Amino acid sequence: MKEINTQESFLQKTLRFWVVIAFVLIGFATFIYGVFGPHPERAWQAYLINFLLWSGMAQGAVLFSTVVHLTKARWSGPLAGLSESFSAFFPLSFVFFLLLFLGKTHLFPWLNEDLAEKKIWLNIPFLFWRDFFGLLILYGIGFGYLNQALQLKLDPNQPQMGIRKLIYKRWKQNGNNIELIENRMTIWGGLYILAFALVLSLIGYDLVMSMDPHWVSTLFGAYNFVKAFYIGLGALIILASVFYLRYGEASGLTSSHFHDIGKLFFAFSLLWADFFYVQLVVIWYGNISEEAHYIIQRTMLADWNSLAWAVLILCFVLPFIVLLNKKVKTKPIFMIPICAVVIIGIWLEHLLLLGPALSHNPDSIPLGVSDGLIFLGFFGVMAIAVTYFLRRFPELVRYKENKVA
Amino acid sequence: MGLFTNEDQVVCTVGALKKSVYQFHRVNSSFFSHKIMAALKLKKSVVGWFTLAGGVIGFFSGFFLAIYTSVQWNLIVGGKPIVAFVPFIIVGFEATILFAVFGNAIGLLTQARIPSYKWLKNYDPRCSGKHFGVLASCKPGQVDELKNFFQRQGGEIREFDDHRQAKPPSWQG
Repeated sequence: MKEINTQESFLQKTLRFWVVIAFVLIGFATFIYGVFGPHPERAWQAYLINFLLWSGMAQGAVLFSTVVHLTKARWSGPLAGLSESFSAFFPLSFVFFLLLFLGKTHLFPWLNEDLAEKKIWLNIPFLFWRDFFGLLILYGIGFGYLNQALQLKLDPNQPQMGIRKLIYKRWKQNGNNIELIENRMTIWGGLYILAFALVLSLIGYDLVMSMDPHWVSTLFGAYNFVKAFYIGLGALIILASVFYLRYGEASGLTSSHFHDIGKLFFAFSLLWADFFYVQLVVIWYGNISEEAHYIIQRTMLADWNSLAWAVLILCFVLPFIVLLNKKVKTKPIFMIPICAVVIIGIWLEHLLLLGPALSHNPDSIPLGVSDGLIFLGFFGVMAIAVTYFLRRFPELVRYKENKVA
Repeated sequence: MGLFTNEDQVVCTVGALKKSVYQFHRVNSSFFSHKIMAALKLKKSVVGWFTLAGGVIGFFSGFFLAIYTSVQWNLIVGGKPIVAFVPFIIVGFEATILFAVFGNAIGLLTQARIPSYKWLKNYDPRCSGKHFGVLASCKPGQVDELKNFFQRQGGEIREFDDHRQAKPPSWQG
């Protein structure tokens, strides 16, 4: 079996490394140019969309590890370890959230509106403080879970430095007691799942739904965290596929892992469509002008209606039809483009939800090259974060049936 | 019948039986085993196609039912169009599930030949417990050789006098 030397193979200054760095720099430069250009609102809109997309992806991917631990799903194998690598994006996501404050005048259209009694909830200090603490709690619990989970995966034969040393010390302090650590993982994992649902609901209400402050959907929070788990699974499949294509069976991944997680991804394409639809049908039946205008603008009026169809096709119709086939789910080479299409679909879906409220010209879709470049910048940041984490914890790639002795 | 307690032994035995002069009939197991299924090299079941066909028929039937009944009443309620696809998705979805289940049940009944009372002939009740049963038959002169074969594979022997074996399902090949 081919041995994976993760320390050597990751983040070497290869062409790939420089390409990723170039993505980050281009994305950053585009954003800065946009902020100081004639249309800073466009740059901030792209920033917010990407913040929501990539943060949700990281939060959703880590959720996978907690869920498979709590449900004792042995089928996940090395996928659980890989999903934990997305936690490296948590601190960056937190910083990105703080930076949103700088663009508040461009991001919250309700700042100059008379919100009457809603002002108690929708005001900048309260919004930022509650989201600040929400994310802090979510990420804190996430790291609490990882602190336990990594103890079971840490290879004592690897050099223990920095964060590894800390985790190894904890492992020793816990007396190598696997049962104790697994029980703690269950508590931290359960808390993470709860925090995930609550905090992502809050983020959905505050940073997406509030952009149209007179529109209300009580299901929007649930829709937001289901979407985050959906793209989290997509990103995890892409990461696992990259490893499988590069290292084959030595990665510990098999086609049955892809089949199983492919089924879960397929199920979440249905669940996402369900949440998309159940909000729509209630508003359709109610036909109340405060609610209906939001849907009419996004699904019936040009040009947004074409974007709405594109989102539905990319996030549901296409993956649903393709993933009906068993063989496709077992082939990483096919799963990469399918998952990428879904992630791009959700990126466009954020634009669909936010664009009409934030754009000065709501009749046309504010989508240009700069949006794509900022997307690439965030992709680069995520790639570097995940790679850095896997470099620190190469054990997550090489799965072992038996836990560290 | 060779009775085994180890899944891997069953896999080896099935592989060896398929290459031998004996006639392999079936494996009885109390649970689904991917390993044994792989060793049996069965033809792919067509039941899934029945389910898919049922689902597709149901999807269109659901929409047809909703559209047909709405058009019959021809009443405009709350300013909504008579033929409105948004709410009809619910009927289409429910009919998809219902007809897919029907298709699946029909597929199972026709392809697996359920109920088959002959199928349980030459069955050892221990196969509902911790044992796997591998059933094979041979010519009258090869009985001892077949017993030895099973014993070499690590199995217990259970002999059945009835030489008329139940026909395996069509998808077993």
